[in-house]
Amino acid sequence: MSKHERTDDIAAVASSLERLAEIGLNTAKKLGADAAKISTGASFEKRLVVDNKEFTLANSLASRSIGIVVHKDQKKGSASVNITNEESIKHAVESALALAKYSVPDPALVFATKAEAPKAKHLDFLYEDKLASLDLGGMTSEMQETLGRLGADPRLALERYEMSVNVSFHALASSTGMMQSERQTMASWSFMGMGRSDDEVTGFDYDGNFSFTRDDILPRSLADADRFVKRVLGLFKPVRCPSYRGAVLLSPRAVQELLLGMVLYHAGGRQVMDGKSRWDKSVGQKVVSPRLTLTDLPHDPRFSGATAFDSDGVPTRSQTIVEKGVLTRHLHDCYSAKRCHATTTGTAGGPFALSLSGGDQSLESIMKSHDQLLMVDRFSGNSDPIKGDFSGVAKSSRLFQHGKDRGSVTETMIAGNFFAIADAILAVSKEVEIVSGGFASPYVLVDGVSVTGE
Amino acid sequence: MKDLLQQLVKGHGGFVELRYHKRISNSFMAQKGRVDVANHSVTEGVGVRALVGNAWGFAATADISEAAIKRAIQEAQQNARALAKARAKGELTLARGRLSTAEFTGPGFDELMAMPLADKLGQIVSLERKLAQASQRMHTARCRYNEIIEEKAIVTSDGAACSLRLAQPELSLTAIAEKDGERATGQRGAGVSGGWNCLLAHPTLTDAVEGAAKTAVDLLSAKYPEGGQKTVILSPAVVGLLCHEAIGHTVEADFVKAGSIAQGKIGERVASDLVTMADSGRETIAGYAVGNLPFDDEGVETENTVIIDKGILKSYLHNRETAAEFGVAPTGNARAWLFNDEPLIRMRNTYLLPGTSRLADMIAGIDDGYLVEGAGSGQADANGEFMFGTGYVYRIQGGKKTELLREATLSGIAFDVLKTVDAVSQEFLWDLGTGYCGKGQAAKVDAGGPYVRCKITVGGEQK
Repeated sequence: MSKHERTDDIAAVASSLERLAEIGLNTAKKLGADAAKISTGASFEKRLVVDNKEFTLANSLASRSIGIVVHKDQKKGSASVNITNEESIKHAVESALALAKYSVPDPALVFATKAEAPKAKHLDFLYEDKLASLDLGGMTSEMQETLGRLGADPRLALERYEMSVNVSFHALASSTGMMQSERQTMASWSFMGMGRSDDEVTGFDYDGNFSFTRDDILPRSLADADRFVKRVLGLFKPVRCPSYRGAVLLSPRAVQELLLGMVLYHAGGRQVMDGKSRWDKSVGQKVVSPRLTLTDLPHDPRFSGATAFDSDGVPTRSQTIVEKGVLTRHLHDCYSAKRCHATTTGTAGGPFALSLSGGDQSLESIMKSHDQLLMVDRFSGNSDPIKGDFSGVAKSSRLFQHGKDRGSVTETMIAGNFFAIADAILAVSKEVEIVSGGFASPYVLVDGVSVTGE
Repeated sequence: MKDLLQQLVKGHGGFVELRYHKRISNSFMAQKGRVDVANHSVTEGVGVRALVGNAWGFAATADISEAAIKRAIQEAQQNARALAKARAKGELTLARGRLSTAEFTGPGFDELMAMPLADKLGQIVSLERKLAQASQRMHTARCRYNEIIEEKAIVTSDGAACSLRLAQPELSLTAIAEKDGERATGQRGAGVSGGWNCLLAHPTLTDAVEGAAKTAVDLLSAKYPEGGQKTVILSPAVVGLLCHEAIGHTVEADFVKAGSIAQGKIGERVASDLVTMADSGRETIAGYAVGNLPFDDEGVETENTVIIDKGILKSYLHNRETAAEFGVAPTGNARAWLFNDEPLIRMRNTYLLPGTSRLADMIAGIDDGYLVEGAGSGQADANGEFMFGTGYVYRIQGGKKTELLREATLSGIAFDVLKTVDAVSQEFLWDLGTGYCGKGQAAKVDAGGPYVRCKITVGGEQK
């Protein structure tokens, strides 16, 4: 494989995929669809795998796909194939139409209009030639340096370390006149492992990150590796957490698992549409503590989900979802917007880059604020989005007493209710962390959680 | 395709493995009188793995022409050579095992292929309507159907040359009931290796519409169980989840090498002597389990691998590479999700063998405890700590099953919990056929077992 062949391929593929989308639309029209939307994609991926601190696999993949959604007599069907010749596209359209024929009529079926989906402005930071040309040899060099950090302490049992570089292109087109396209280069990496000494195995943990540019790979992955090693090695000799009901401190990871997911569920247009949201009539009203402000930043290069348009083809935009506890909008795609007599917010398949604003207290002062405080780093459990109840195990979590770190905890379960804790937020840290390039969050101190430990 | 791959696999230096894989997936979801998903997808291509010296290279192509497959072989070998420069270790060897030359067509394949998409979709829409009408308390009725129909041919340069055709349909019903703003969920679901009729005959789907609706409505007025260490009886679905998540992953040889809690424990007691646990690719106990495979994605014949025998850890789960490293035979556990995925060590049907107790006697032996039914999602850790959700719970008081309670979260250290097992029922069920295991790639797996009585931590409120 030559790196030049690959970069040349993506340029050629970019124009061919737009043409392929047009072929898909014409085929759908010819075979009788009332309306259609076509998504096409191509990607070239190089991937290296390290198992147990030893390189074990080099991988290169080229793939294409075409997805077709058709509407016929107010009924919907869809199909996708990874072989993108005309015969294959025709078969996919026929299958989608066959399914539509026996589906249930739905007057709300809609594709984005040209007015809703004007050509989106390209996000130039998504693509870099220098990263696109990074080959397996270059990736190996980047990984070897990071591997040196990961392998320095023999107690770190590194189950897997992977890095991939993906050069991708995708295009969307619909019979309503929408046409969007985007190209992207992305390096992403992940670490998975645990601590192991002669007589002890710690819990498992993972970390990861991404970069749109080649030069950021090494500094970011080294910093990620240092953080990962420190966190895993801190899990040895866990203590039993006392059982109590009260305050727990949620790390950014736990905030995402216990708070953000629930906020998005109840702010989601699909849930509003189906009568599942508790916040269906709450736009403009306080729904959570005034300490919380949540924004989606899809044009921010710090986030891996950055994109110029959503999966309906509607251009994305930065927008606040919750401002000082008040719900500012529901998040609609074109379908839920039509069902709810609202307008799309360009969040089909999103939101894309969530940022929860920092507060006014230092993390250190929050940790000292309670005689006894469980800091939940990850939540492994179940939650009922409708009722808001959650229950599960606090993973990679630590016990603080009078602000002092007493160590990681084992066999500790937490239970509570989202609506109660989101309303009873005691503090939000100034410090904000971006987790795995996916979202940004401070540490959040919540009250009313049942902790079952010792 | 197998013939073409057999021609192309010859004449290369080192080991070469070619895997053709075509997957047709049909997915439908009806809810609230709508069809939200009616999708047909086809993914097809050839994955190539090459071992050159001591390094693996992988490449894949969706173009299944002779020329494209030859290019993919060259690319995989180039990738392996590039990697070899970064590797320190010496030779990498593969245990041979029983390499398959079988041509296999699974039960129900022809039936499911012949059944028109429209008929399947029509039945899903009809089931959703029935569920919606099953109770006046129904807020949401949802019916999901997914089927995987796949064809594979696996050829290796050292003698495997096998092909299969499999059908794996699955169906689930979800009822959400509402009363005075309170909501509760009831579910029934099953997946099988087989056709449409085999799926509908699964014991879990008997009276599925009525069962899902009744559970949802009954749970509206149910309380939560109290948290703490409890004596519980785990249902077959929950036992299957425990076997898969909390034990199965820790005995996957790649995870063992990394340092899982099972490392170095072969021959040691890890469970009560009532516990015998296995992972099987063969038709064991019941023929419909979803993980039935005649051979794995390295072309190695599958087997019934006994992991724990009467409480003693006996075996890990292996691919050809780890089997050579551990000096044992491969167990047929190498599986890849799609043509462009490399095979990883994965489970198939993971289960606890039935015992001699009767469920009624096991309940009678509990003064204060729970019977836990229905498996939710689950996760387990390298040290054996696990967490999984359950559908609903019955309180047991004075040896009798009494009050229905809402869902619970269970947690513990797997080997510690298995040491507390004091009764295992005769009744047995495969009951995780709708499950997918995630390990970088997805895998369709099944799990099950008897009812098992043990001590476990139940999550809940602290006063």
